[in-house]
Amino acid sequence: MTANEINMILTGVWQTVYMTLVSTLFGYVLGLPWGIALTVTAKEGLHPNKVVYRILDIAANIMRSVPFLIMLILVMPLTMLIVGKTYGSTATVVPLVISAAPLIARMVESSLNEVDHGVIEAAQSVGATNFQIVTRVLIGEARVSLVSGATITIGTVLGYSAMAGTIGGGGLGDIAIRYGYYRYQADILWTTVILLVLLVQLFQAIGTLISVRMDKRHI
Amino acid sequence: MPIIEVRNLSKTFVTKDATVQALKEINFEVEEGDIYGIIGMSGAGKSTLVRCLNYLEVPTQGTVIVEGHDLSKLSGAELRSLRSSIGMIFQGFNLLMQSKVIDNVMFPLLIHKVTKAEAKKKAEQLLDTVGLSDKAQAYPAQLSGGQRQRVAIARALAMDPKILLCDEATSALDPQTTQSILQLLKKINRETGITIVIITHQMSVVREICHNVAIVQSGEIVERGLVEDIFTHPQSRAAKQLVIEGKDPDEFAKEQEAKSKAVPILHESRKIRIVFGTQSSFEPVIANMILTVGVPVNILRASTMDVGGTARGDMILGLPADPASQEKIISYLKERGLAVEEVQ
Ligand SMILES: Nc1ncnc2c1ncn2[C@@H]1O[C@H](COP(=O)(O)OP(=O)(O)O)[C@@H](O)[C@H]1O
Ligand SMILES: [Mg+2]
Repeated sequence: MTANEINMILTGVWQTVYMTLVSTLFGYVLGLPWGIALTVTAKEGLHPNKVVYRILDIAANIMRSVPFLIMLILVMPLTMLIVGKTYGSTATVVPLVISAAPLIARMVESSLNEVDHGVIEAAQSVGATNFQIVTRVLIGEARVSLVSGATITIGTVLGYSAMAGTIGGGGLGDIAIRYGYYRYQADILWTTVILLVLLVQLFQAIGTLISVRMDKRHI
Repeated sequence: MPIIEVRNLSKTFVTKDATVQALKEINFEVEEGDIYGIIGMSGAGKSTLVRCLNYLEVPTQGTVIVEGHDLSKLSGAELRSLRSSIGMIFQGFNLLMQSKVIDNVMFPLLIHKVTKAEAKKKAEQLLDTVGLSDKAQAYPAQLSGGQRQRVAIARALAMDPKILLCDEATSALDPQTTQSILQLLKKINRETGITIVIITHQMSVVREICHNVAIVQSGEIVERGLVEDIFTHPQSRAAKQLVIEGKDPDEFAKEQEAKSKAVPILHESRKIRIVFGTQSSFEPVIANMILTVGVPVNILRASTMDVGGTARGDMILGLPADPASQEKIISYLKERGLAVEEVQ
C-alpha cells in the first residue's frame, strides 16, 4: 500500500467514525423522545393515549421495514435540502439518522418498559409529575438497558454507513467498494474489512464497559 | 374531624375478559395520630383501598376526604401537592435501585423544588431517624430487606407527611425484622403524631401496633373498631377466624380447604372462649369456677398475647354436655366480668 492509500484509509476510518457517531447522536435526538412517547402513551403507560400511540407505533413499523439502501435513495430530496449534496459522509448522515431513529425509538421503548412499575408508583405517591418520572425515574433506572441499546445502535449504524459506501457515501465502505471491488485491490479490501470489524469491537467493548460500570443493581 | 374519611367507596376494574368489583361501599374514617390497620386475605381489595387514599387509584364511586380535601375535586397539581403530605411504603420497597440511599431519600424533596443542600441535610436527618446514617452512600442492592424498608420509610417521611400509608410493608420480611420495622413505625407515630394506615394480612401486625382495625373480605369491610374490642368480642365470621383461630387470613383459607376434606374426629358439645384483662389471671377463676359449679371443663387452648401493648389472656374451654352446667359456667364467668364468646 502506498502512503497515499494509507492516508486515504485513515481518512476513511475517521469518516466512518464521524458518520456513525453523529448519526447515532441525531438518531437519539429523534428516537429518544419518540421512544419515551411510545412508553408514556401506551395502554399501561403514564399517560395512555390510543391515537398518539398508534401513530407513533405505525410510523416506527413502516420506517423500520424500509431497507437502508432504499431509504438512502428515498430521502435524497431531503438530503439535498439539508446538506446541499447527496454524496459524501455528511450527506450520508441524513438517511442514517432516519433509519436509526425508529430503531432507537423501539429500543428506548423496550428499555423503559422494563422499569419496575412499583418504583413508578412510589414516585407518583410522593407527588412526582409524569415529566419528573420520565427524567428522574425511568431514564435513571433503565440506564443500563439504554446504554446496551445505544451500543447495538452504534453497531447497526456503522454497518449501514459501510453500505452507504456503495453509492458514494464516504468512509471505509466507500473505499472497500471503489478499491477492493472495482479495482480488485484485495489488500485494501481486507484492510477496510478488518478495520470495520475492529471498530465494531471497540464500540461494543466501550458500551459494555460503561453499562457494567453504571449498573448498581447487583453487588 | 377525622384526617381520612372514606364514604361509600366502590371500585370496579373492567378488563377485557372480566369485570372485578374490588371494593364495595367502603366506609371508614381514621382519626389524626391513629395507627389504623386494614386486614384481609390476599385479593380482598386492601391494596386497591389504600391506593384510593392517595388517588393512585381513582374510585369508581364514593368520596375520599383527606385533611378536609375531597380528592375528586383536586386538580392534578393540587393532588400532587397533597400527596407530598401522604407518605407511602410498599411490600417490595420500590426504591430506585440505580440511586444511592441518600438520593432515594432526597428524591421527594428535589421533586418538590427543595434546594439540594437542604434536601441533603433533611435526608441525613431522616437516615439518622431510621438508623441508617452509615449507609447513605450505599446502593439499595447492598442492603438487607429490613434496611431497604427503612430507606423507604425515610423517603416516605421526607416531606414531613401527616399520613403514612403502608401496603404490606412487612410482608416480605422475617419476623424479627418485621418487629423492628413495627417498632420504628410506632416510635415515629409517637414522636411526630403521624397518622399511620397499615395494610396487612397478618393479625400479629395489627395486634402489635394498631389501635383501630377494619377487616376487609371480598371488597367489603365486614367489621371495624378498636383492636381491643374486636379482639375481645369478634362479631363477624372473619373476625372470629382472625382472633380465635389466631390465624392470618391466608392460612385460614388453606385450613378451611383442608378441613372440608377431612373427617371430623373430635366433637365437643359446646365451646366458649374467654378473654382475660390485665387484672384477672387464669388459674384462680377457672379453679374457683370448677369448685363452685362442681363439673370439670376441658381447656382446649390458653395463651397470652400482646394487644396494643397490654397483655391479654385468651382461653378456649370445652363445656360438659349437660346444659344446666353449661349455663352455670357461663353465668359464673360473666359475673366475674370476663368476656365470654360462643365458638363453633
Ligand atoms: N388494575 C387492576 N385491574 C384489574 N383487576 C385488578 C386490578 N388491581 C386489582 N385488581 C383485582 O382487584 C382485587 C383486589 O386486589 P388487591 O386490592 O390487590 O387485593 P389485596 O391487596 O387485598 O391482595 C383482586 O381480585 C385483583 O385481581
Ligand atoms: Mg395487596
